[in-house]
Amino acid sequence: MFTPAFFTTALLYLGYILIFPGFLFCFVIGLLLCGIDRKAVARMQKRVGPPILQPFYDFFKLCGKETIVPAAASRTTFMLAPLVGLAALVVIQLFIPVFNFRVFRNLPEVADMIVILYLLLIPAVSVMLGGAATGSPYAGIGLSREMVTVLAVELPLVMVLLSVAKAVGNELGTGLVFSLSGVVDYQAAHGSLIGHISMIPAALAMLLIIPGETGNHPFDAAEAETEICEGLLAEYSGAPLGIYKLSHAVKMLTLTSLFVALFLGGIGTGVEHLVAAVGLTGAVAGAVSLILQVLILVLLCIVLTLVTISFVHAVTARLKIEQLFKYYWTVVTGLALISLVLAWYGF
Amino acid sequence: MILMNYIAAFFLIVLGLYTIVTKYNLVKTVIGLSIMDYGVNLLIVSIGFNPGGTAPIFTFSELNPSSFFVDPIPQALTLTSIVIGACVTAMSLSLVMKIYEQYGTMDTREVRRLRG
Amino acid sequence: MSMLSYQHFPIYAIMLYFLGAFLIVLFGKNKIARHCLALLSVTGSLALLVSLVPRVMTGGEIITYWMGNRAYSGGYAIGIALEVDALSLFFALLVAVAVFVSGVYSIRYMEHDDNIPQYYTLFLMLAGGVMGLVLSGDLFNMFIMVEILTFAAVALTAFRNTARGALEAAFKYLVVGSIGSTCILAGTIMLYAQVHTLNFAQLSGLIPGHIHGATRVAFALLFVGFSTKAFLVPFHPLAADAHGAAPASVSVLISGVLTKSGIYGIIRLVYFLFQTMNLRPIQFMLVFVGSVSMFVCVTMALAQHDFKRLLAFHSISQIGYVLTAVGLSTALGISAGLYHAMNHTIFKGLLFLAAGAVLHETGTTDLDRLGGLSKRMPHTTVLFLIGAASISGIPPFNGFASKWLIYQAAYLRAVETGNIGYLLVTIIALVTSTLTLASFVKVSQSVFFGQLPDEFKDVKEVPFGMRLAMSLFAILCVLTGLLPDLVTKVLTGPAAQAVLNPVRYIAAARGIEVPAETAALPQAAGAWSPINWLLLLGISLFAITLVALLGKYDRVSENASAETLPAKYDLFFSGEKSVYSQVGGGDLFWGFKYNWRHYFSFMHDLHSGIVNDYALWAVVALALAIAFLQIVL
Repeated sequence: MFTPAFFTTALLYLGYILIFPGFLFCFVIGLLLCGIDRKAVARMQKRVGPPILQPFYDFFKLCGKETIVPAAASRTTFMLAPLVGLAALVVIQLFIPVFNFRVFRNLPEVADMIVILYLLLIPAVSVMLGGAATGSPYAGIGLSREMVTVLAVELPLVMVLLSVAKAVGNELGTGLVFSLSGVVDYQAAHGSLIGHISMIPAALAMLLIIPGETGNHPFDAAEAETEICEGLLAEYSGAPLGIYKLSHAVKMLTLTSLFVALFLGGIGTGVEHLVAAVGLTGAVAGAVSLILQVLILVLLCIVLTLVTISFVHAVTARLKIEQLFKYYWTVVTGLALISLVLAWYGF
Repeated sequence: MILMNYIAAFFLIVLGLYTIVTKYNLVKTVIGLSIMDYGVNLLIVSIGFNPGGTAPIFTFSELNPSSFFVDPIPQALTLTSIVIGACVTAMSLSLVMKIYEQYGTMDTREVRRLRG
Repeated sequence: MSMLSYQHFPIYAIMLYFLGAFLIVLFGKNKIARHCLALLSVTGSLALLVSLVPRVMTGGEIITYWMGNRAYSGGYAIGIALEVDALSLFFALLVAVAVFVSGVYSIRYMEHDDNIPQYYTLFLMLAGGVMGLVLSGDLFNMFIMVEILTFAAVALTAFRNTARGALEAAFKYLVVGSIGSTCILAGTIMLYAQVHTLNFAQLSGLIPGHIHGATRVAFALLFVGFSTKAFLVPFHPLAADAHGAAPASVSVLISGVLTKSGIYGIIRLVYFLFQTMNLRPIQFMLVFVGSVSMFVCVTMALAQHDFKRLLAFHSISQIGYVLTAVGLSTALGISAGLYHAMNHTIFKGLLFLAAGAVLHETGTTDLDRLGGLSKRMPHTTVLFLIGAASISGIPPFNGFASKWLIYQAAYLRAVETGNIGYLLVTIIALVTSTLTLASFVKVSQSVFFGQLPDEFKDVKEVPFGMRLAMSLFAILCVLTGLLPDLVTKVLTGPAAQAVLNPVRYIAAARGIEVPAETAALPQAAGAWSPINWLLLLGISLFAITLVALLGKYDRVSENASAETLPAKYDLFFSGEKSVYSQVGGGDLFWGFKYNWRHYFSFMHDLHSGIVNDYALWAVVALALAIAFLQIVL
């Protein structure tokens, strides 16, 4: 078992987990998206705004601060929850294909779309449990709102995923495609799904789901700094708070790249032909096209962040929790439903 | 003749259900359960009945192809069912007694602390 | 056959329970004798059944056992048979495991009660009743076992008769349960009138050729009867009352085992006795009842203020999943449904035991009064969280593994048939899972996290015996979640194949062996390998924790004792020291409930708690079932 080949593979996967598309990538790009978002919102509101690297400064500063565990809190849950949430998010990032690049190309797929849907609950649950463990009344209210937000977002998200599964299945004639790599493979061969009429409402719905899932304005009733002092995070300080902020940033990356994989999967896959056309071959071509694909992904994520998070943030006011719920279960679900029905009848 | 039995059995079952659904007294509910049981018991014995058959009590030496008797299995089932019915009545009446001790009423509309 | 040959094992497994019950009546006054007898019978039964696994599950053998050796003769099965195929053994194993763990838990849990011998007697009677039901090959015997288990369950519900609502719950359960039992009896006898046999296998051979008015009514009667035992909608209020009032160790049996007996009955009814699952209306009936149960009960659970009552409603919601999956009538669906049935026994058992632990220590299960127990009962909290994650379908626990298969099965079925109704079912199943999560987040917040009320300052962790029982369930939760392939191969796959192949069951009773079809095990469409995921999560978590610890993540300057801690360790509450201000469990998720307020107030009024109403629901359900089956079958 412990042959050199095994160690090479192990090292490779460790690299995937720790560097790309795991930790380092998530850390850098996530915080970068966060910084761009803050800058863009500020500009839209005619403010100067913080430097783009401000989230990095914030994170490192928080890590240097003292961690105060409230006397009433259950310490283990309080300290462990942020770490579990972040780890779960990073693992999800491993399952989202970057155009032609797959972590699990040579292995059976670990998780399909439905699994990812539920894996996305783990960070939410860990933040809820961490907050609840403090016993703060703000956390109680924050927990209530966070859970309602999750409930609100879940229904349209389920329908978006089902309609994508059905649409791709229709095209391939296999009935259903639950595998995310399968969806991206299809798009690589036949062009992005956004080009299908039936998928446009689903894509719109997904755009509206992103800020809800990440808890960004105007769907941030769960944090609502001005009324419930960040709710679940009210008692957090120091490094654990920093990790939560980082998780939030990574979540932006996860959801935008999920959007890219679901609807824009065809865009970056032409790169390989381009690289071949230039005359590069072998390992160099692979490396160059991977780098190009990652760059395209990052660009798309930035654009999506600007559209779904920054722009929506700048032009709207925070919704009350019952409005938020109603909005998702009517408007967004309606959009997803249109897609689902269209996909169902084969458009 | 046997049709009458079926009609009566059906009538008893429906009467029992009617009692359970419409009567608000705990004891009447128990009576309803018993009536329903009797209906089913009547149904069972009627099913095993052969017009003109004798009682199915034979030793092996007496048994021959020409012996004509009613089906013994439903009778055995009826016995079991009667026993079970008696148990239901006993158990429910004991519960009714206890409920009366605790709630001070026999009205089902007031025995509803668990709801919603 | 020697006394120790394996053909005898099923009857021994049943009789051990009844013998234990009987001996405890005689010798139960002595504490040690009582515990030894109870443990011997639950362990023995479990061991006997486990020893049958290689033969029946993987070997595909069907054990037919004739009481008093009165085998099939002259074309009629006069004797009483036990017939154990993979499906029976699957359910029997569930029963044995749940009874075993619950028995271990009972020892410490019930130690402060009166009349403990009677408790054990009833407990073993209930276990024996369910075991007899699932192993029996005779329809009338099934009825008798149903009566035994109903009786034992009613008596156990009323066991703590000073507890709030216990008597009332028992009475309601007895009334509606008796209506259900009477339905089963009437259905049985109507089938007997048609074909003059009570042997299940022989009935299954004859009835599909005799479908006419009377057998349709019998079908409806049996279906409604078994639905009462599974507490499907509209019988769910009884489950809530009974589970809530019974001692926790009994709730485990009622929810984990008794409801399964109803599901078992329905599977036998539709797949074997009438063999109608190829008909779309019957599929519709099962899937409809299942989906309605799934959704209605989860919303009812969200509105509850009592820990155990909430769990009870969830129980029926999960049973709804099982019935829906079974009603899909594909190999994947049946296997997923059985998998979920198994998981439900495990995680719901764990949750009820955790609720029992809370009740044992605090004396209440009121969500509005509890809070902050995680500091006082850390082990129970962890175990509860495992159970909660399982039932809410959080990967990698077992609830997710089976629910994921159910989603796949439902959606595949939708695509296969082109029926948009199945699509709706898939969405309901997915959303119900999140609603389940919501209500368990509510329980975590209101019982284990949040603020600790002053009255529970001195609460202690539960005794080791109870934690041991909960840990057994928790370990099973993790194992069955991590090894879905193994579970499918050894347990649910063979059981699903048995369900889809009634001919073997029918032939086995005549002593004819039909070779097992070597059909492929059901395969899911998507991908989910929990072990790999767990490995990835483990590595990531390890890496993060390492980095965090190197960065002095756990640097906490907590030198002072609890009383003299500086103010910064108090909870922040608008500048003041926080007073007790827990958000009540019932008021959580206001934003959700507000949008559904009409629905919730309607449902609240509907569940009036009057036994006449529940009886009326039963009658209406029966009438609807008869009418529906007369029209479609």
